[in-house]
Amino acid sequence: MWFSNFLQWLADTQFSTMMRESTWAEPIVETIHVLTLTLFLGFAVLLDLRLLGITLKRKPMSEVLAQFNPWLFGGFAVMVVSGTLLFCGDPVSFYNTHPPFFRIKMIMLVLAGLNVMIFNLGIGRRVAEWDTFPKTPRAAKVAGIVSIVLWILIVAAGRAIAYVLPPP
Amino acid sequence: MWFRAHLLWFCQWCNNSFFGHGIRDSVWLFPFVEIFHLIGLGVLGGTILVLNLRLLGIGFRGDRTSDLAKDVRPWMIGGLAVMLTSGFLLFSTEAVKMYGNWAFRWKMIFLLSAILFTFTIHRKVVMSDESRVAGISRVLVAVISLLLWAGVGLGGRAIGYVTTSASSVTVSAP
Repeated sequence: MWFSNFLQWLADTQFSTMMRESTWAEPIVETIHVLTLTLFLGFAVLLDLRLLGITLKRKPMSEVLAQFNPWLFGGFAVMVVSGTLLFCGDPVSFYNTHPPFFRIKMIMLVLAGLNVMIFNLGIGRRVAEWDTFPKTPRAAKVAGIVSIVLWILIVAAGRAIAYVLPPP
Repeated sequence: MWFRAHLLWFCQWCNNSFFGHGIRDSVWLFPFVEIFHLIGLGVLGGTILVLNLRLLGIGFRGDRTSDLAKDVRPWMIGGLAVMLTSGFLLFSTEAVKMYGNWAFRWKMIFLLSAILFTFTIHRKVVMSDESRVAGISRVLVAVISLLLWAGVGLGGRAIGYVTTSASSVTVSAP
């Protein structure tokens, strides 16, 4: 119960009202959220394809990680901040969509985070052992596939949310 | 006038085509195609960003630009193909409305310019030997590329917001 109280409290804040009622706030934030897909999704897919041994093969894996990671974290930060702002505009409706696309998206985001964590604690930590191999190890391939599938589903769920939110 | 008449005829044909009809009449087909459009956006935009960040010298500095381009080119072209196909399908559901939508027109002008630029001047600079192209022209080419593609993206976002107010032509038969 405390959580729905929190959402209601959030919806009643001045900031939430501003997000809802301003003509420009929502289109601008949504545009940032969507166009940052180029940075975040695009780079994530390229990195995943490297994990699968499909592209950027001539570069050592450690170098690919070092070059992509700052952009990925930056892109992810923009996605999270802009996404949170959109959520603040109508928190109760987002949380309670039918079908529950928003909750599905959040669960998949957590799974994508776990996938990154497992990679970093496992095969990613031993990257020096397979850095320049033309074929990447199976665990790296699994991490790449799981990541691509999850991000595609996250995009799909995100798009679906717009169709089940009540009109403003 | 001749051009406009044919353009309108083409839009009407798309509107009444089986795919225009099919996607328009289905509840979930439109969002389904949109998802492909968004994933194509990520992949196409990602590859273009990689190359332009390299040209600007603020990312991927360990690589020759031409090597990076060879690696990402199939994904750039694949992403563009997905975007053009899904975009055409989305367009066909309300092609006549799009005919009168100024944001859509701007998007198409930017898109045509961006594609032409990417496969001519941009490609030439990306593929040429780093030492033989002045740093300033590499930066300039990257900035033009980013501006043109940003125009496409912003135009695309704007379509949805002006569609109700700026449509000068009404759809004849739904």
